[in-house]
Amino acid sequence: MEGRVPDPPLSAPMTERDIADGRRAVGAWPDALLTVAAWALPTAFILVPLLLFLVLGFFEVQGTDVVYRPTLKNYARFFTDAGFLPTFISTCWLGLKVAAITVIVGYPIAYLLASLRGRAKYTVAMFFAVPLLMSYIIKIYAIRSILGGNGFLNRTLLHLGIIDEPWTFLIFNLNAVMLTLAILLIPFAILPIFVALERIPRNLLEASADLGARPLLTFLTVILPLSLQGVVIGASLTFVLAIGDYVTPQMVGGIEGFTFGRIIYSQFGFGNNWPFGAALSVILLIPVLMAIVAADRAGRARYAT
Amino acid sequence: MMRLALPAQAALWTVAAFVLLLLYGPLFLAIFFSFFAFRSNRVQWDSFSFTAYARLADNQRIIDALANTFVVGVIAVALALVIGTLLALYHHAGRGRGRDLLQVVIYLPFLVPPIVTGLSLLIFFRQIDFERSLVTVVIGHTVFVLAVVYRNVLARLQTVSRTLVEASLDLGANRWQTFRYVLLPQLMTALLAAGILAFALSFDETLITLLVTGTKSTLPMWLWSMMRLGFTPDVNALVALVLAGTTLLCLLATRYLTKP
Repeated sequence: MEGRVPDPPLSAPMTERDIADGRRAVGAWPDALLTVAAWALPTAFILVPLLLFLVLGFFEVQGTDVVYRPTLKNYARFFTDAGFLPTFISTCWLGLKVAAITVIVGYPIAYLLASLRGRAKYTVAMFFAVPLLMSYIIKIYAIRSILGGNGFLNRTLLHLGIIDEPWTFLIFNLNAVMLTLAILLIPFAILPIFVALERIPRNLLEASADLGARPLLTFLTVILPLSLQGVVIGASLTFVLAIGDYVTPQMVGGIEGFTFGRIIYSQFGFGNNWPFGAALSVILLIPVLMAIVAADRAGRARYAT
Repeated sequence: MMRLALPAQAALWTVAAFVLLLLYGPLFLAIFFSFFAFRSNRVQWDSFSFTAYARLADNQRIIDALANTFVVGVIAVALALVIGTLLALYHHAGRGRGRDLLQVVIYLPFLVPPIVTGLSLLIFFRQIDFERSLVTVVIGHTVFVLAVVYRNVLARLQTVSRTLVEASLDLGANRWQTFRYVLLPQLMTALLAAGILAFALSFDETLITLLVTGTKSTLPMWLWSMMRLGFTPDVNALVALVLAGTTLLCLLATRYLTKP
């Protein structure tokens, strides 16, 4: 899950000549054969598994076997059985809160990065990007070893006599999940906002100042609106990653911090109802797709000049 | 960007410092406790030792997990480099809806939540009766990191001047020679950077691996099982080593990424 980086701008469209040259470089294979060869592996290992997964949700389990007769029972069960819909809603809400926190805290940092000059800009930016490549599970482990009931923070506070009993509200509830996810995911919010701020043409800021706007007015009327696409992309990324996660809630959520991802995961473990798990994942994909579409639209937005 | 007034700068730096503390503090604390013991609720300053590291070397399960992680990473990255480069060349050589659609398919495992990528592969492997093992982990990782390689190579291809390819072909080189002696040298740093990034991703991959792994585990799987038991100096030592390795990979990758 680590390492999603916002797309760089696309290059200029290719000319017919480019295409002809490209053909010469790649080879004189017949087009059809080339197409088949290119599609073979992505079809076998990406498309087919995803399609199987979509289809499986329409079957049901009887006893221990999957019965291959199409049914909507899994989807009906999501709405009728207690617990599934509320958990789904609370997980989406959790994702929105994580997205809001990361964007609100991430924006000033992105702004700071954009206001730096030369080497300093990219050196400081790297400090915020490097955690993306660091082991996800190790980061959760480290955070838990601080917040836990038996963790560093509690034991130190006990030792210093500040508290008499360990704080329990820090761990094993939804707030702990939210805070941990916010820390894990904040680089995903900072980087797209930074990129959006960097893209704002300098002459717009100069024009605003020349026309007499104070810095705050320039920020509110020029910079903020133009950087919103980065905000939307960052928020979408953190939202998608937060609602699909099942390891973080498992590690810091305890019994209280139950999320939709954990329900899905349990269907493939103890629950052992794969079709139901697949159906629940398809439901999870609905808010995910909405977020991806929002990010895509924001990414395509161009300045109206 | 606008020059900031001093108070505004100070405020922004405060936020940045606070977030950096949250990002790095826990990790440094884990590294710290790989050297020092924490007993009776406080740090034992006289307990500095390397014993936790020495014990790691004796733990066969950790060594096995580490070896598995390396094998999986190297094979997955090698596969992704070859397949990703070929697919990038294919996309670059023409245009049309088909090629754009294929591009979306390649990005899919990166776009959807990892749990969906992992589950779809899990279901796929069971449907074709393919036993879960390190092979399925390799396939999962290859599918996942393919997008990184593809993206990097394609971005580089778009900067390679077509006159170079043209000159090579006009001077009588065949297509293989043109690829080998003209295109490949231009792609080399992009491939290196992509390879390092992909290896770092594979090394840490948890959410997909957890679903497609068999009995043999990779390092994140082993850590995941250990974390339920609590925090031991051994795990802290391992954490410190992994972080050191990751930092090294990051430095290498940025070196090649920034090279023109």
